[in-house]
Amino acid sequence: MNNLSISTMTTRKKYGIKSKKVKENLFAYFMLAPDVIGIALFIFVPILIALYVSFHDWNVLEPMKYIGLENYKNLLSDGQWWHSVWTTLLYTLMFVPMVFCISLLLAVFVNSIPGSAQEFFRTLYFIPYSISTVVASLIWRFMMDPQRGFINDILRAIGLPAQDFLGNPKQALFCIAFISAWMLIGYYSIIFLAALKDIPVSYYEAAYLDGANFFHVFKSITFPLLKEVNTFVLIVTTIASFQVFDQIKILTNGGPADATNVSVYYIYKNAFEYMKVGYSSALAFVLFAIIFVFSLIQLRITKGNSDE
Amino acid sequence: MKRNMQRLASLAVAAGLVLGMAACGSGQSASNDSSKATNTSNTTNTAVNSTESSGGKSKISFWTFHTNAEKEFMASLPEKYKAVNPNVEVTYENFPESDYMGTKLTTAFAANAGPDVFVMSPGDFLKYANSGVAKDLTSYFTDEMKQDFLPSAIDAVTVDGKIVAIPFEIELLGLYYNKDMFKAAGLEAPKTWDELINATKKLKKGDIASLIVEPSKGYYQNFTWYPFLWQTGANVIDSGTKTATFEGEGVEKSLKLWGDLIKAGAPSKLSIPLTNEIALLGSGKAAMQVCGTWAVASLENNYQDTNIGLVPLPVPEGGKAATAAGGWKLMVNGKSENSDAAAKFAMWAFAEDTSIPLEWCTKVKFAYSPRKSVIEAGKDIYTKGLREVFTNQIYDSAVGEPRYPSEIVNAVGDALQNVMFNNGDPKSEAKKANDKIADFLKTYNGAM
Repeated sequence: MNNLSISTMTTRKKYGIKSKKVKENLFAYFMLAPDVIGIALFIFVPILIALYVSFHDWNVLEPMKYIGLENYKNLLSDGQWWHSVWTTLLYTLMFVPMVFCISLLLAVFVNSIPGSAQEFFRTLYFIPYSISTVVASLIWRFMMDPQRGFINDILRAIGLPAQDFLGNPKQALFCIAFISAWMLIGYYSIIFLAALKDIPVSYYEAAYLDGANFFHVFKSITFPLLKEVNTFVLIVTTIASFQVFDQIKILTNGGPADATNVSVYYIYKNAFEYMKVGYSSALAFVLFAIIFVFSLIQLRITKGNSDE
Repeated sequence: MKRNMQRLASLAVAAGLVLGMAACGSGQSASNDSSKATNTSNTTNTAVNSTESSGGKSKISFWTFHTNAEKEFMASLPEKYKAVNPNVEVTYENFPESDYMGTKLTTAFAANAGPDVFVMSPGDFLKYANSGVAKDLTSYFTDEMKQDFLPSAIDAVTVDGKIVAIPFEIELLGLYYNKDMFKAAGLEAPKTWDELINATKKLKKGDIASLIVEPSKGYYQNFTWYPFLWQTGANVIDSGTKTATFEGEGVEKSLKLWGDLIKAGAPSKLSIPLTNEIALLGSGKAAMQVCGTWAVASLENNYQDTNIGLVPLPVPEGGKAATAAGGWKLMVNGKSENSDAAAKFAMWAFAEDTSIPLEWCTKVKFAYSPRKSVIEAGKDIYTKGLREVFTNQIYDSAVGEPRYPSEIVNAVGDALQNVMFNNGDPKSEAKKANDKIADFLKTYNGAM
């Protein structure tokens, strides 16, 4: 009797825990469902359709024609495509270090400000991020106008020659990287700032007691302890740089002389200007592969670092 | 490891967003049976259209991209048509120009939800004509109408012997200039290329642009550059034999001209994206602008205080005058269920009575009508103000805007951009473009 009652009790307990777990799991799936369904419907389904389209010749107006790997073969010898990939890489090389360094420095600067002034600066730097890309780009387009732009007005006033900015193939890509960085720096400096707050103050106190100066502290304490965030910011900004589009569409339309014709813009042009939707889908898949490989390499490198 | 997998997954999602772009134009692609692939005839295509007939009343959608007075005019057509044919309900929709030609029409047709009646530029004309979207309107044109339209205007909308659109305006290019600025600098309005370059150099001052030509690559830049090419006797292709002719002294000279104009101080970038807007010249912020007939109305209504003159486009030494005759066409969706009612509406608007096209070409904007009867009815207006210059000095040198496929537009555009902004050598740039065009023509079977 005694034995029996004990065993029933344990079974009851066991099943009770199990059903609670199932319930929890179900609830979790239920909460995740909107996101999962959304991503499946609006990201993965279009990706699969794009893959399907990439094996076809399709100009939107006529029925699709299956052509196998023809689109992928053609893109190998498409000089303009590889030029656009090269332009994208150049853009990445300008954009990523710019965003990384400036937002990190801003975060360190803001972190060193005492009291409520800190909140003021934090908000100030965040404002550009809250403006829509289109609006911000338009503002910069007017400021950088070679004839009547505000920046050239300043240059002329201090006796420097006016610049063409977005009208000069040598300056245009850098200008776009600068404008994009300006928009995003506030956001990434908040991320850095949050990580900075996690570093115990006692580390700094000890270092300063030992006679370390600001640069020593930054090099030996701040920077190494931000490793996780550094990795995150580097990877996310690299991906963002491969996807740059809005700014280019509004500021230069890929010009002058193709100087800002980045990959995504070239894909857009093929789809909507030349109406080669199959070909542009193939290009999009190749770009996907390139981004994927880049991210893998970055992960490998940063993983190696954190194992040390 | 698990975390890395999570990171990888999130990377895949982020990278996938890029792909989403290309996919967004392909809403209905999967349902499109590839067994239909060989069927390119529009007569057997049973596309479902957004419009439907209900209670014996046909519903027609009508799309354009106009603004201000032009938009009001287009929006008034459905109302007027109600009086003529109460059984047809026309709904008008208007889009910003860049959206209209960028993604709006393309995606609408991709999703089988294209409009029944829509306006089309010469630049995109062939895509829609060759694909069978454009309804064959030949049977709607009576002999009388065919007599009334200028033969060149009918040629411009004819593909394989079929009339596939209604031309409703002819727009010419000229050189507008600020008379006061020229007087102050002691200059005459330029008649030759050398004078044009010279004036561009001399009139540049601080934030005032000396000459505005379109700096951005695209259909519009090519459209405004072709006259300078034609003035030398050269052309992009020989449309009779379908061979590339983009080489030789004429091509090089005209490419070099636009490079020289940029070097002489013409702006390489404009804040207002399309130079077909006359605001800079009108407000005294520019001394010259290559622009079209459409600017006359805007100058008269908005910029009366600026003293603006107009001359034909300057010509090279020994060249002959030429200008481009552009203009949008009205197209009817042949895949629509109501294509017959739509065609009748389009014909009513611009091919039958003279009053509607006359209002469009003389009151709403200034353009030439492709119809002799309309020009006759409005002949007093065609000699008013700056219009007189277009009518008496420019009209006779007009050459129809070519309707080249985008591959050719792109090749020419690249050559022009490289000469203008990359110090490209006109000779080698012309050769590169010519090779690309020749390559393209080898496999191109559509109409030209």
